[in-house]
Amino acid sequence: MRKTHCGSPDHALHRRAFLGAAASLPALGWLTSPAVATELKKQQKRCILLWLAGGASQLETWDPKPGAVTGGPYRAIPTNVPGVHISELMPKMAKRLQHTAIVRSLNTKDGDHGGAAKMMMRGRRDEAVLKYPDLGAVLARELGQADSPVPDYVSFYFATEGRGMAPGASGFLGSRFAPMELYKSNVPEYLRLLDSISGVDHQERADLRDLLSKQFAQGRSSATLDSHNEAYQRVRGLMASEKLFDIEQEPQKVRDRYGRTLFAEQTLIARRLVEAGVPFVRVGRAWWDSHGQNFETHAEMVPELDHVMATLLDDLGERGLLEHTLVITLSEFGRTPQINASLGRDHFASAWSMTLSGCGIKGGSVYGKTDDTGNRVKEGEVGAAQVFATIYEALGIKHDKNYHVGSRPIPLTDPGTKPIAEILA
Amino acid sequence: MRPFRPALLCLGLLAATVARADFPADAPIEKAVDHFIDAALKDAGVTPAPRADDANLIRRLTLDLVGRVPTVAETKAFVESTDPAKVEKLVDRLLASSGYVRHQANEFNALLMAGSRGGVRDYLREAFAENRPWDQMFRELMLPDESDPKRKQAAEFLRSRVNDLDKVTADVSAIFFGVDISCARCHDHPRVEDWKQDHFFGMKAFLARTFDNGGSLAEREYGQVKFKTVKGQDKVAGFLFLTNAAFDGGVVADPPADVMKKEKERFEALKRDKKPAPPAANSARAKLVEVALQPEQRGFFARSIVNRLWARFYGAGLVQPLDQMHSANLPTHPDLLDWLADDLVAHKYDLKRLTRGLVLSQTYARASRWDQEETASVRRLFARGSVRPLTPTQLAASLKIATTDLGGDLKPADLEKKIETLEAGAAGFASLIEQPGEDFQIGVGEALLFSNGDRVEKEFLVDAADRLVGRLKAIDDPKAVVEAAVWAVLSRGPTEAETTLMAAYLAKRPERKADACRQLVWALLTGAEFRFNY
Repeated sequence: MRKTHCGSPDHALHRRAFLGAAASLPALGWLTSPAVATELKKQQKRCILLWLAGGASQLETWDPKPGAVTGGPYRAIPTNVPGVHISELMPKMAKRLQHTAIVRSLNTKDGDHGGAAKMMMRGRRDEAVLKYPDLGAVLARELGQADSPVPDYVSFYFATEGRGMAPGASGFLGSRFAPMELYKSNVPEYLRLLDSISGVDHQERADLRDLLSKQFAQGRSSATLDSHNEAYQRVRGLMASEKLFDIEQEPQKVRDRYGRTLFAEQTLIARRLVEAGVPFVRVGRAWWDSHGQNFETHAEMVPELDHVMATLLDDLGERGLLEHTLVITLSEFGRTPQINASLGRDHFASAWSMTLSGCGIKGGSVYGKTDDTGNRVKEGEVGAAQVFATIYEALGIKHDKNYHVGSRPIPLTDPGTKPIAEILA
Repeated sequence: MRPFRPALLCLGLLAATVARADFPADAPIEKAVDHFIDAALKDAGVTPAPRADDANLIRRLTLDLVGRVPTVAETKAFVESTDPAKVEKLVDRLLASSGYVRHQANEFNALLMAGSRGGVRDYLREAFAENRPWDQMFRELMLPDESDPKRKQAAEFLRSRVNDLDKVTADVSAIFFGVDISCARCHDHPRVEDWKQDHFFGMKAFLARTFDNGGSLAEREYGQVKFKTVKGQDKVAGFLFLTNAAFDGGVVADPPADVMKKEKERFEALKRDKKPAPPAANSARAKLVEVALQPEQRGFFARSIVNRLWARFYGAGLVQPLDQMHSANLPTHPDLLDWLADDLVAHKYDLKRLTRGLVLSQTYARASRWDQEETASVRRLFARGSVRPLTPTQLAASLKIATTDLGGDLKPADLEKKIETLEAGAAGFASLIEQPGEDFQIGVGEALLFSNGDRVEKEFLVDAADRLVGRLKAIDDPKAVVEAAVWAVLSRGPTEAETTLMAAYLAKRPERKADACRQLVWALLTGAEFRFNY
C-alpha cells in the first residue's frame, strides 16, 4: 500500500508510457488489456473542492429560513428543481441545480475551527498514533497515475485567516501523496528553471544524475531508494505542467467569464488542472467566519460563490468534463441560526449544509431536513463519515475498501458507514 | 500486510535452540551478534554478502556514529592504513568525539519529540556527553526536575503532549516499551491477544494525573481513569503495566470532595505565583518508572531500546515494526535480542557500550550490494548491509561538509570545531527535509527543491575559493576534476567508467568551467548514492 508501484505488468506499461511525457492524456494506442482500460477510466475521475474556510452560513446559502426569527433579511428563491428553494443570494445556482445535490442535515458536533477543519478534510478524526490521509491524498492515490507528469493533489489557500487550520496531509500514505500547497503564488515553487542554468544543461545534468543513480541501485534493493529515483523522474513532467498554473494561457473571454477575483482565477486554474488529469484540487476561499456583520459578509461572498460555482459547472459541462468531475462545496461547520448582538452568526455544527455536483451524483436532489428555525436536523442526519462515503462512491471508489498500516486494516471510512444512496446516481 | 510469518518463526526457534545453548553472557557484544546471526544464516542455507570495502565502511560508520560523511582526508587515511586494528580505532575515535554527542542528541530528539514543536536537544546533549545510562534518562524524562537548570528541558517530553493524555499514554508505551497500545483504547486489540482495553487504560492510569499547571508540569495525588468497555460496561482502570503487573490495592477511590477542592486550590496558588509544583507524594508516574525497571518487568524497557538501536544500524529491528513487540510478533532472532537486552541491563543501560558492540560486528560490516535474489524473509536474516535514507541533519551536514574544503592538515580539535560550525550552519536546510519514518518515501517536493531551488545553489554549489566548485574549477585535467569531485562527495575514488562518463560531461562544456563543475557536483549530491547510507 505504501509502495509507489505494485510491480504488476500494468504498472510497467504505465511507466513506459508516462516516463518523461508531459502530455496530459496518454495516447490510446497502447490500450491493450481490459485492466488498463478500467485503470484509464478510473483515472479520468477528478474532484474540485471549493473549501469555504471559516464556516459559511447554511441559512444564507443552501438552507434559508425566511420569515423565521432566525432567518435574517434575505429571502429564499425558487430553483429549477420544483419545491426546492435556496437563498436569493444565489440566483445563478438557482437556475442550475440539475447537476447538484444539496445535503442539509449535517451534524458534525465540532465547532472548533482547527479540529473541525481537520475532521471535514479527512471524513474522520485522527487518532493519537494514526494520522489519516485527507480527501486530496486519498483521491491522489486512488485516481492518480503512478508516474504522473502532473501533480496529484493541489491546494490553493492564500488567506492568512485559518492558515494552518487544515493544511493538506497525506498521513500514513506518505510523501508520495502530499499536496502541492500554494500559499503565495498561483504557480508552485521550484517548478521554474533558475536563471543560472539553461534548459539543455538542466536536462543533461538530470540525465547524468539518473545514470549514476541507476548504477548505484544495481544489486541493492530498498523501497525508499526507489521512491528517491521516482521523485526525480517526475521533475521534468511537473516542470512542464507549470503552464497549467498560468492563467494567462486562457483566452480573455474565459477569464472574464469567471471574473478577476482571486477565488475566480484559482477556480479557473483548478479547471485547467483537472482537465489535464490532476485528480484533486482544493480552492480555499476564506474567511466566512462572520461572528459579526454576518449579512454584509455573506452579501459579498455568497454572490461570488454563486457566480464562480455556476461558471465552473457550466464550463466543465461544455467541455464534457462534468460527468467525470465531482465538485464539492464544504466548510468546517455552519453558522448558528441565532443571530448575536453584532448581527453575526457563530459556529454551528448541529445542522448545516454542503453540496455535491457532477460525477456520480443524482442532480436536483436534496437530502435531509432541518426544523423551521434551522436549529436541529429533523430528518436524515449525517456526519462526516457518510459524506465521505458518498464522495468516494460517486467517484467510483469503494468506500469500505481497506488500506493497511502494518497489519491493521484501515477502511477508507469508519466501519459501518453507509453512503447517502439517495443522492448517488 | 505483514502477516504472521510461521516459516521465519520456525527458523528463529531452530536457530535459537542450536545457538543459544551455551553462548557466554560475558562475551563481547559483536561476537554475540555474529554468533546468532551466522547460526540463522547457516540454517537457512543463505550465504551472506562479503565485507564492505574500507571506503564504504568508514562512510557508514561516520554517518552512523557522528551523523555526517567523512572528510576526504579522513577517508584516505583510513583506506590507506595497514593497521589491523584500524576499524576498532576508528569506532573509538568517533565515539569519543563531540560529533557523537550531537548526533545522538539529534537521533533521540527525533524519537522523543516526533511531531512536536518543542525539543529536548540541549538536555540530550548534556546526557550523552556524560554517557548517562538510559534508565536514568528515562527517569529524568518521566519525572523531570524542573528546578534543575541542566535537566529541566527534559520536561518538554511530557509537557508537549500533556494536553492529550491518550497521546501521552500511546507515546510512552511506543517509545520506551516498543508497544503500540493505542488500538486497545476502543476495544481489546483485535489481533494481539496480549493487549486489552485494561492495558491501555491501565497504562493511562499511571499518566492521567499529570497536567500542565500554568506552564509547569504537575501531578495530582489522586485521580481515576474511567472508561467504557466494548460491551458498554463502565469500568475504572487500575494501574496495570504491560507485563500484567498490577498493584495491590488495585483501584484507589477518589478522596472526599473537600480534599479534592483543597488540592485544586493548592495548584491554583502555585500557578498564580508562577511556582513549579513539587513532585506528588503519591506519584502515579513514579510508580510507572519504578515498575518498568523492576527485574521481572524490565524486559520491555530493555528490549525496546536494544531493538531501536539495532534498527538504526542494521536497517530493520529484530522486531518489526519497532512498536509491535508482543507475543504474536516474535523477533527474528529471539535469543539474540534477549542476550543483548540482558547484556545491556548487566552493564547498567550503557548505550555507548551497546552502540560500540553493534557496529563492530561482522554482520554490520557487510556490503549492501549483493547480486543474490532477496525475498522478504531473507532480508530479515541481515545477510547484507542495509540501504537507509539519511536523516535531515545527516543530509544537511553532509552536503555542507562534502562541498567545503577542510584542509587535511587541520588538528583534530580544530577540525571538530569547524565541523560543528558547519553543522550548525546546515540546520536551516535540514528543516526543509523530511524526517524518515518506517516505509519512508521521498516526495517529489525534495526533488524539485534540489532541481530548481536557488538555496541549494547558494549553499552548496557556490563558486568560492574554499568551496568544492571553486576548487574544481581551478583543476585543468578533466579526469582530475572527476577524481576530486567523487572523492569529496561520495567518499571514494571513481571507477574508470565513471571517470570517462563525467570527464565527457565536462569536455562538452569547455568554455564554461564553473557551470560544468557546478552541474557535475549537483549530479553527485542529488544522486542516490549520496542520499543514502549504504
